Amino acid sequence: MTAGGGWETVIGLETHVQLRTASKMFCGCSAAFGAAPNTNVCPVCLGLPGALPVPNEQALKLAVRAALALGCTLHPKSVFARKNYFYPDLPKGYQISQFEQPLATDGTLSYLSPDRGLTTATIVRLHVEEDAGKSLHDRFPKQTAIDLNRCGVPLIEIVTGPDFRSPQEARRYLQTLKQVLEYAGISDCDMEKGSLRVDANVSVRRAGAAALGTKTEVKNINSFAYVEKALSVERDRQIALLEGGGTVAQQTLLYDSKTSSVRPQRSKEESHDYRYFPDPDLPPLVLTEEFIAEQQAQLPELPAKKRERFMAQYALSVNDADVLTGDRAVADYYEAVVRAGADTKLAANWVINEVLGDAKTHQERLRVPAGALAQLIGLVRGGTLSQQAAKRVFAEVAERGGEPRNVAEALGVVQVADSGVVAGWVSEVLGAHPQEVMRYKSGETKLLPFFVGQVMKVSRGKADPKLAQKILEEKLAA
Amino acid sequence: MSDPGEALANAKAAADRIVKAKRLNACLTPPKELRQSLQKQAQAAHPSGVLYGMPVAVKDNICTLDFTTTCGSQILAGYRSPYDATAVAKLKAAGALIAGKTNCDEFGMGSSTEHSAYGRAVHPFDKTRVPGGSSGGSAALVAAGAVPAGLGSETGGSVRQPASFCGIVGIKPTYGRVSRYGLVAFGSSLDQIGVFGRSVHDAARVLSVISGRDPRDSTCEARDPLRLPTVPESLQGFVVGIPKEYFPPDLDAAVRRACDRAIRVLKELGAAVREVSLPHTPYAVPTYYIIAPAEASSNLARYDGARYGPRFDGALDVRALYRATRGTGFGPEVRRRILVGTYVLSAGYYDAYYRRAQQMRALIAQDFRNVFDRGVDLLFTPTTPTPAFKAGEKLADPVAMYLSDIFVVTANLAGLPAMSLPIGRIKGLPIGGQLIGQAFLEDEMIEAAYALERMVPGTEDA
Amino acid sequence: MSVTHEEVLRIARLAELDVDEATLPVLTEQMSRILEFVAQIGDVPASESAKPFVPGPDAVRFRADEVKPWPLAFGPDKLAPAFRGGFFLVPKLGQFEEEGQ
Repeated sequence: MTAGGGWETVIGLETHVQLRTASKMFCGCSAAFGAAPNTNVCPVCLGLPGALPVPNEQALKLAVRAALALGCTLHPKSVFARKNYFYPDLPKGYQISQFEQPLATDGTLSYLSPDRGLTTATIVRLHVEEDAGKSLHDRFPKQTAIDLNRCGVPLIEIVTGPDFRSPQEARRYLQTLKQVLEYAGISDCDMEKGSLRVDANVSVRRAGAAALGTKTEVKNINSFAYVEKALSVERDRQIALLEGGGTVAQQTLLYDSKTSSVRPQRSKEESHDYRYFPDPDLPPLVLTEEFIAEQQAQLPELPAKKRERFMAQYALSVNDADVLTGDRAVADYYEAVVRAGADTKLAANWVINEVLGDAKTHQERLRVPAGALAQLIGLVRGGTLSQQAAKRVFAEVAERGGEPRNVAEALGVVQVADSGVVAGWVSEVLGAHPQEVMRYKSGETKLLPFFVGQVMKVSRGKADPKLAQKILEEKLAA
Repeated sequence: MSDPGEALANAKAAADRIVKAKRLNACLTPPKELRQSLQKQAQAAHPSGVLYGMPVAVKDNICTLDFTTTCGSQILAGYRSPYDATAVAKLKAAGALIAGKTNCDEFGMGSSTEHSAYGRAVHPFDKTRVPGGSSGGSAALVAAGAVPAGLGSETGGSVRQPASFCGIVGIKPTYGRVSRYGLVAFGSSLDQIGVFGRSVHDAARVLSVISGRDPRDSTCEARDPLRLPTVPESLQGFVVGIPKEYFPPDLDAAVRRACDRAIRVLKELGAAVREVSLPHTPYAVPTYYIIAPAEASSNLARYDGARYGPRFDGALDVRALYRATRGTGFGPEVRRRILVGTYVLSAGYYDAYYRRAQQMRALIAQDFRNVFDRGVDLLFTPTTPTPAFKAGEKLADPVAMYLSDIFVVTANLAGLPAMSLPIGRIKGLPIGGQLIGQAFLEDEMIEAAYALERMVPGTEDA
Repeated sequence: MSVTHEEVLRIARLAELDVDEATLPVLTEQMSRILEFVAQIGDVPASESAKPFVPGPDAVRFRADEVKPWPLAFGPDKLAPAFRGGFFLVPKLGQFEEEGQ
């Protein structure tokens, strides 16, 4: 559903991404997900009296890499600032973030908009901060349970301008952002696990209007699919409101996936005066040229470039290249298969269809080693295995391992491509069906598949069908 | 000392003296707990430590595994810290004994130790007077001879001022010299742990032990511990500046006499003495009372009854819990400062107050740099405008209390090392003289203090 | 620069401090007094400025990314006024909305 009716939607996104570090942003506690509650804690992340923050080097490295991957201007000097507010899962009563002097600004990210083709989103800023803990409201009656394991995990916040013109665009941008950050090894970007979270700003205006409408903030969007739904719901709500003569109030709304609606967050009084000031516990963040250069060197080939290269180097269509470069692991796998000798086009088909299909039902694992797949593809190309047989071998290798050639033999699906043997079966078949031979010779060439089928039957599927067909044609022509 | 038996005896004697001094309301640790702990500590202490067996009292806003850490507040009543402050760990590693926790103005906010939730501390020589603050408890115990040294903390003079009032030595190091890990934060860009001693030597050697790098404090400089100078023969070669703004026309005549006497001694010791100017001094107290409360309002946001400390129960929702806990658990001075601090950081006021105060701070720091860059090594000033005032005298008007910090807050704002040592008595009450040194040149300041201490009649009427 | 009762209450809400109606007038007067006192820094002309000064190191030092927490002699369960099943407990948020995090 699109806006239509002369309305334009304007969306901006704020994304919080957890960085892949072993320890937290400001203390040496483990940043790992899933531990028993309140076990990855120390004086610092508990906010005990007297505790002090000490920043994690790897977090800064990853943040700088992310900024570089997004084409941002890196500020060699940036400052940590305190964002002051009260909430049960914020033990210090403030979050250490960045405000007036963030790590990076003015970046871009190209993505394929479903409406406008290749488009660029502007990254207004990227800064470093710490995560808060978790509040659980339904665990105990009349109480809120607090788990501070997540408190202090390193985050980067990535803020776009009001760049997106539809919920679909917003979603596509997010998917591209996730891809780039995964490629660069910055984060898992898993919305289910909370390592990628997004809040959106939404407004509408009459098409052609210069000024922006009043924007609302939409939170509690927990998956990529919900991004699209939540933004659509809010856009529709605003349009309906305005068309009915009302005005849009600036407020924060929570998306409720169960009812597919948004409702206002009951206002936290004065919650927006965060009283930011530079954190006196942390000297300025100064990045040397060497440090920045090192992070630049650590950046891998990013998705857009890799896709272009795949198209050129492996003669792939844009769609195939897109699928193969969607995930860095898959791209690396594909190239390994090609390096092991497989034909690039066949490899592409196999990876896109069989390998990814298998991965879908097996926790995204690429179960067949690249070398094995290359061998398998070679066997099909050389005629030793039919496509069907090869799929069987693939499934077997995926499940129980082994070398495709050996597995094929064990399964008894190795095709016979020995012309002598096949010729024998052909002769047998022709001998057994004289009527059909006569009919063929008098013009019913459509019987050819019948003969091929018979050869397959008599050989119990072992004959190379292409070779059989060739020999049949020769013999029948004679 | 290297004999465990001697250490045990010392520990017992210290406990006795501290308990005997209970009229001072300086020590917050119950006598039984104090005795038991001191005995255990004496048994476990490292005999090869340079402070082996030395009992050191610790201000109650410094985290210790032994005893509670209340910061003089109800909001941390009964709180036991699960870790030792780095300074405390270093003391223990050097064989010292933690001789109880001492009374202080709540969270370090005050200049008299009258703003403690556990009753005011009392001046060791005159029970109607205050020992100064916020580290009044440690100062009183050291002055009373109960312990040879004590830890205090400074944000705006809270070690030097009580040292002056109580007639002992109090040293505040350069900001970043001593780790703040475990010092309960009040004004993070100003806070430093400081040391009291009955002599420059005692205070300095404790300072040396607690100083040095700490990977747990990002504002602590990565330096080796302070090296102590030797006692100098003379002060030849030292240039001492006398900042005229610290000797205003209305300075108490007796204080002026005591300072003049000390300056004469400096000259007799061979120092060159010259008048200098620190023109932005009049703005130091207002600047301090913007920056410190601002930082405090943020630092004290964590005290909400949710994760530690007492909880003021019966709250129906968590907001109500916060408001009740903080409204009841904090005393009036702390509440005032949190409110002022919140105000000066709030939207619409940040530029005029907080940002402007940071600029003032830069001007104040520059004043010092300008003077030190022109060949001055140290500055000498009075520490306090008067000797210890009477309890209750400055409670009616909060600003009156703030003005007693007039000579001490500049060093905190500029991050410079400073110390007070006794330079005389005024009608029997001690008065201190202040030395302000250059950043990380505590050794020069201490050297001058050694010399001055030897020659100035610190217990004589001025 | 004086403050009004309303402003004091607003600031108190921001700071999560209960202010009792009886003490409000005195508190307001004291705050006004303090704020007037500190406002005198405005007397120094704005043209006077110096290089920004913050004490301490010029640049922050980093910590290696290792799982090595600073020691805790005992766990959150011993610190907390209310703790159950591994969680800190506080009375249910009445005025907050959960954010589903």
